[in-house]
Amino acid sequence: MIEFQDVTIIYNGRPVMDRVSFTAQFHEKIAILGSSGAGKTTILKLIVGLDQPDSGRILIDGTDISALTEAELRDIRMNFSIVFQEGALFDSLSVRDNVAFCLWEREKAPEEVIESTVKSLLNRVGIEDAMYLMPDQLSGGMQRRVAIARSLAGCRPRMMLYDEPTSGLDPLTDATICDLINELSSGDPTKRTGLIIVTHDVPDAIKVAERFMYLRNGRIQFDGGLETLKSTQDAELIKFIKDIL
Amino acid sequence: MTLQKLLAELQNFYILSISSILGIFRRSLKWRDVLEQMDYAGSGSFFIVFLVSLFIGMALSLQISTELAPLGLKMYTAKIVGISIIREIGPVAIALSYAGRVGSGMASELGSMILSHQVDMLRVYGADPMIRLVTPRVLSSAVMLPILTAIGDAISLAGGYYIAVAVSHQSGAFYWSQIGNELNFHNILSGLTKPFIFGYLIACISCTVGLSTRGGAQGLRRATTTAVVLSTIMIIVVDFLLTQVLFFILGMRA
Repeated sequence: MIEFQDVTIIYNGRPVMDRVSFTAQFHEKIAILGSSGAGKTTILKLIVGLDQPDSGRILIDGTDISALTEAELRDIRMNFSIVFQEGALFDSLSVRDNVAFCLWEREKAPEEVIESTVKSLLNRVGIEDAMYLMPDQLSGGMQRRVAIARSLAGCRPRMMLYDEPTSGLDPLTDATICDLINELSSGDPTKRTGLIIVTHDVPDAIKVAERFMYLRNGRIQFDGGLETLKSTQDAELIKFIKDIL
Repeated sequence: MTLQKLLAELQNFYILSISSILGIFRRSLKWRDVLEQMDYAGSGSFFIVFLVSLFIGMALSLQISTELAPLGLKMYTAKIVGISIIREIGPVAIALSYAGRVGSGMASELGSMILSHQVDMLRVYGADPMIRLVTPRVLSSAVMLPILTAIGDAISLAGGYYIAVAVSHQSGAFYWSQIGNELNFHNILSGLTKPFIFGYLIACISCTVGLSTRGGAQGLRRATTTAVVLSTIMIIVVDFLLTQVLFFILGMRA
């Protein structure tokens, strides 16, 4: 279970997160909505220990990760796979080496296992032909798919974290990425790989998530299911979700 | 910049400088990364080092022989060119060129990796950015800058030879014998210690600045500029301090 307890982050004297508290199960499918700069990406980075809160606690399965060292965080991070906005592929490595990175680093897998795993993952995301290309030779959609393939390599995440995975994509590629996200988090609702997606694209959030949080001024202004979201009385939130009303 | 931020930056620099050395002894260091960085920093910088060194050697030889000729002392051209190039101008000029090319490249590359979350991804996958990114750069700089300086010094001296013989009509054999006399332990130690320290510091400064990049394209521009400016100031100041220290160690007096 993931627990945020009064998490506050202050940047340049301004609270980016102001006493944020929530709990989430690993199998949940959650969308965190909010405008740019609302602190959505920061939540993902806090979950995997890439950022530290100024105050408050973040518990992963009961362990407070706020004070852990990088070495201690390694085991916590095994629970998650993260796909950053625009993929965050290592631009000095080929697609094959990007996907294989986790297999080298975490699993120390032999070359033949790496080769077959990479092929199968790229096949799964539909870009096996791009195996030996460099990231700058890929389109935006292909980069996201490689990033998703990489996030699945060599680890069995209990939860996927997506940072604006569809921003800047054409509608067709957007739909393909959403289908892929759904496929990866399908199965028994109590055992499946869960997901947290941060986005300002409400229609996409509805395609993949079941629980919605709305972040504004560093605080969670809304937390609930789709029907509750649609019936909200919050004027700001109504403006934000007008595309689905 | 507030005092608190300045102290935080200094602390980052101090930690990175120490950790980058300790990283050499870690098993997770990939020597392929070190060789790649050496190739970029060394072979990639050869052309600029060649041009800078050649023209500095020629200009210095021209200036000195022109000044010494009316005094009937132009036979000392090689001695003065040799001491200046080997001890002082070679290490400093090549370090400045290196900071402009390689230091700025390191800062912008690491800054870009920060902004595109590539460094975050390394951490998520359990790879230490210090070992994967910083140590190879610091090690390659500390090794390649002395090598580039030795090559650059030789090119400068050859440039000086061309001017001394073709323009100042001196004896080529005498020029090289004078240079040979200057290739003693003191001068070589002085000429190679400086680039070793400069290389280490340029890489540490550039990596610290690159890894603290914030704020998009503008932040990247700021980081690259800061890396070059700080490296330039550091080279000039540390050169003076090292000269004092080396004079003291080698028992030389002004």
